This record gives sequence, C-alpha cells and structure tokens, in this order.
Amino acid sequence: MDLGVIAGAILMACAAIGGGIGNGLVFVRYLEGIARQPELRGLLFGQTFIGIALVEALPIIAVAFGIMKLLGIL
Amino acid sequence: MNLRRMENTPKLTFHLAGLPITFDVTVMIGTTVTCVAVFLIAWLATRRRALVPSGIQNVVEMLVEFTRGLVRSNLDAKTSEKFYSFAFTLFFYLLIANQLGLMFNIVTESDHVSAAWWKSPTADINGPLAMAFVITIVAHFLGIRKSPKKYGAHYFQPFWWMFPLHLIDEIAKPLTHGMRLWANIFAGEVLVFVLLKAAWVGIPLNVIWIGYSVFVGIIQAYVFTILAMVYMSQKLSTDH
Repeated sequence: MDLGVIAGAILMACAAIGGGIGNGLVFVRYLEGIARQPELRGLLFGQTFIGIALVEALPIIAVAFGIMKLLGIL
Repeated sequence: MNLRRMENTPKLTFHLAGLPITFDVTVMIGTTVTCVAVFLIAWLATRRRALVPSGIQNVVEMLVEFTRGLVRSNLDAKTSEKFYSFAFTLFFYLLIANQLGLMFNIVTESDHVSAAWWKSPTADINGPLAMAFVITIVAHFLGIRKSPKKYGAHYFQPFWWMFPLHLIDEIAKPLTHGMRLWANIFAGEVLVFVLLKAAWVGIPLNVIWIGYSVFVGIIQAYVFTILAMVYMSQKLSTDH
C-alpha cells in the first residue's frame, strides 16, 4: 500500500472530526434557540442549514481532496 | 468497474499558439443538457401565462419570488433591480446542474480505456471555479466603477498594515466560493458510487444518501447564489 492512500485516509478522518465538531456547535445553538423561542423554529431552520453549509465548506473540500488522493488522481 | 474509471472523462485537447487547451467532453455535455433543461422549463412556464398561475408556472414564479427576496436582502432597492434576472438564472442553473449526476452514469470501454459520459457539470472543479472567478471579477469591476477612490481605500482600512490581510481575503473568497460547491457535489456522487458497490446491503443506504444529496444540491445552489450577492454587495455598499 502506498503512502498516498494513507495520506488521503488521514485527511478525510481529520476533516470528519473538524466538520463534526463544527456542525455540532451550529446545531446546539439551533436547538437552544427553538427551546427559548419555539415560534422561531421555521426561521431558524433555514438559517441553521445555511450555517451548516458554510461550516461544512472546508471539511468537504478536504474530503474531496482525500478522495482524489485515494484514487491517485492528485 | 472501479471508481477511478468512473472519474476518467474523455478530453479534447487543442493547441492554441503553443498553449494546450483541454476541454472536458463530459462537462460540456452536462452543461448543454442543463442549459437546454433550464430553457425548456422557462419556456414551458411562460408559454401560457395566466393571471392565476397553476402548475409549472406556479413553481417557476415561486423560484423567481424566492431569488428576488434573496437579492433584496443584500442590496438596496435601486441596484437590486439589475440583479434579479442574474440571481434567478444562476440559482436555476445550479439547481438542475447539481441533481444531474445523481440520476445515472454512462460508461463506455474500448481498448481498456473507459470513459464516463455523464456527471454534474458542477462535480468538476473547473466549472464552479470559473463561475466564482467571473462573479468576483464583476464584483470588483462594479466596485471600481462606482467609486475608484473608495474601492482603493477599502484595502487600507481600518489600518494601513492590514493590506496583506485584505489581499488574502480577496483571493480566498472566490477559491472557497467555487470549491465549496464542487466538493459537495463531487463527494455526493462518489459516495453514491461507493454505496452501489455494496450490493443489496447498500440499497437502503443509497436511497437515504441520494435523498440527502438532492437536499445538499438545493442548499448549495442557494448558498452559492446568496454568497455571489453578498460579495457584490460588499463592493457596492456605500456605508462600507
């Protein structure tokens, strides 16, 4: 097994850890928000998913590069 | 069939004044199909217009209203009028382009060289990055045309030594803007393929994942459009 595959796997694992923590923080605020003001659920839902899409950007870029590393394209 | 073959797309290479220029045929097919679909839906929606909309006209009108709200939340009333059609076109194109690769794939093989003929045009890094760079160039151009002095001064605020930070910011914006879209769609398509290899175990997982991918495609189209508008409003806003 060559080192490129291991590098890609480590890259994807680190991205998963970071993305998990980031998304968790965003979602905790969302749940706290609807616990305080349940009538804002609809508004917060949209905002939360924009936030998650923004937080996910760097982890998912790292995952894409990890996949390319696994395939040996990069 | 392995994953590497699926990512092997046919290429057309030209030499223009000694410089090699490569076109990805699969992405060209995908772009054409998306454009035709967008035109067709827009044409069908406006063919028999009624005062009380129904069917496809209703759906497209909802999208128009939605993108209008998106532009209005970022720009003031006068300038936002110029961007309505741009935002709608961008959003509609991405909405269809992101779902294209989830449907099926066509792979041909000859002389042990396989070629994939179908994927989302946004699952190739060149497409989204080109779109992001064009949007950035337009935003800078609009900023310079509005007020060159303010545009130049913006780089040295609040302190002159913050210039390198502003420069990094301006380079990172289009890069992350394009790569965010590409990486989401690319990762989605690859995972669909990985789950297909898991035989019958993968069927329920694939159903869930494709459902999620459709959702991600819609969210990413929305995020790309709203970020394009945010970047333009940053260069156009007067109180900045």
